[in-house]
Amino acid sequence: MWWKFLIYLVMTAVIVLAFITASPMNPVSSLGGPEVYRIFYFHVPQAWVATIAFLMAIFFSIRFLQTRRMDYDVKASTACRLGLLFSILATISGSIFARMTWGEFWNWSEIREVSIFVLLLIYGGYFAFRSAVSDEQTRAAFSAVLSILFGVSAVFLIFILPRIYPVFSLHPTDSIVNGRISITMSPMVAIIFGLSLVSFTALFLWIYKLSVEIFTLARYRAGER
Amino acid sequence: MPANSVNWAAKVLAVTGKDIISEFRTRFAVNAIVMFALVTLTVISFALGVLQPAAEIMAAMFWIILFFAAMSGLAQAFIKEEESGTALILKLSCDGIVIFFGKFLFNLLLLIVLAILIVPLFIVLLNTTAENWLLFIAGLVLGMIGLSGATTIIAAIVSKASIKGALFTVLSFPILMPLLAAVIEITKIAFIDGRFSDAAAPIQMLIAFDVVMITLSVMLFDFVWRH
Repeated sequence: MWWKFLIYLVMTAVIVLAFITASPMNPVSSLGGPEVYRIFYFHVPQAWVATIAFLMAIFFSIRFLQTRRMDYDVKASTACRLGLLFSILATISGSIFARMTWGEFWNWSEIREVSIFVLLLIYGGYFAFRSAVSDEQTRAAFSAVLSILFGVSAVFLIFILPRIYPVFSLHPTDSIVNGRISITMSPMVAIIFGLSLVSFTALFLWIYKLSVEIFTLARYRAGER
Repeated sequence: MPANSVNWAAKVLAVTGKDIISEFRTRFAVNAIVMFALVTLTVISFALGVLQPAAEIMAAMFWIILFFAAMSGLAQAFIKEEESGTALILKLSCDGIVIFFGKFLFNLLLLIVLAILIVPLFIVLLNTTAENWLLFIAGLVLGMIGLSGATTIIAAIVSKASIKGALFTVLSFPILMPLLAAVIEITKIAFIDGRFSDAAAPIQMLIAFDVVMITLSVMLFDFVWRH
């Protein structure tokens, strides 16, 4: 119980601190006003959680195919549901951030924007497929296979495509850690950002745990009838 | 071992041969794919009129035609089995991997037929030409291997769903996205008379994609097929 209150307190603190402390802007390479950079505290953790959810979905899909236990299917599909939610949040906040700093809501040459869009397409296809199959076992096995295929394709898209295709990343590579993995933020910014990251992750895991319980119960209720 | 692998190849070819024979009876997949490609090509060539777009746009147009034409027909390989109720017999008669490669070869053949018809028409109607034909054909072949390799397992997956055609495109696109990006890049370089060395990076990526997707499909196919 105590950690739920802790999430509440830390998240409140993050929101307040994000607006009252100095902007996290790096004065050397910044566009737009310093105030718009405060969205960084919320945008990056959202994208981070969306990534974790995608990886969890792939992990539980593999576990499902190994064990054929339906609770892994519930876990994988719940991870996808929350992944979709956080991907939408990250897309919206990122789009606003992009408009304020780079001047456009959307830019197809930006690899991160392309990949989050494909991630949204993946989740859309995943749920469209799940709603189109009535048999529970078939749905579970096939959507597990699908998420593994999606995962491998995403590796190509995110890591290999930027090397060959005229896409580039406007996202700074050194705003959080530089090449030698040392943190480049000022101490105050690093603390707020770290707390935000931790509390977003904890919030995600909490929602995830509750959702898994709800969908497991719903599955048993459906089975009783 | 040699006798065994000959036997295995014969089985794969038997599955492909069976599909070719049943395709000749109805000509459903070929008709769907070729007509779709023709219609799309006509729309594009009408819309462009006398304009002479850049090589990038030509390459993208070419692969849009090929991608959507492929999407309209490649799922048939498994949907046909489900609809005519022959999937079970096929399951009993040989291994999943044999079925996979049989269907993969059949889909690849369909795409080759499509390319043989559509490439000359594209060149004539859009009044363009590939400057480096060898590179163009290399990209085309690698692209079609990947297209067929990645979509065969998806065709098997959607054959169990209630809405098949639309779902096939929706699920294939995110998986084929890296392939399309690489292959459009290669075709563009071929249109502007680039050399093989200019297209080395996308070709490497395309080969990696083809190998990884086919290997992954082989690993995962039994989970779909033996279900």
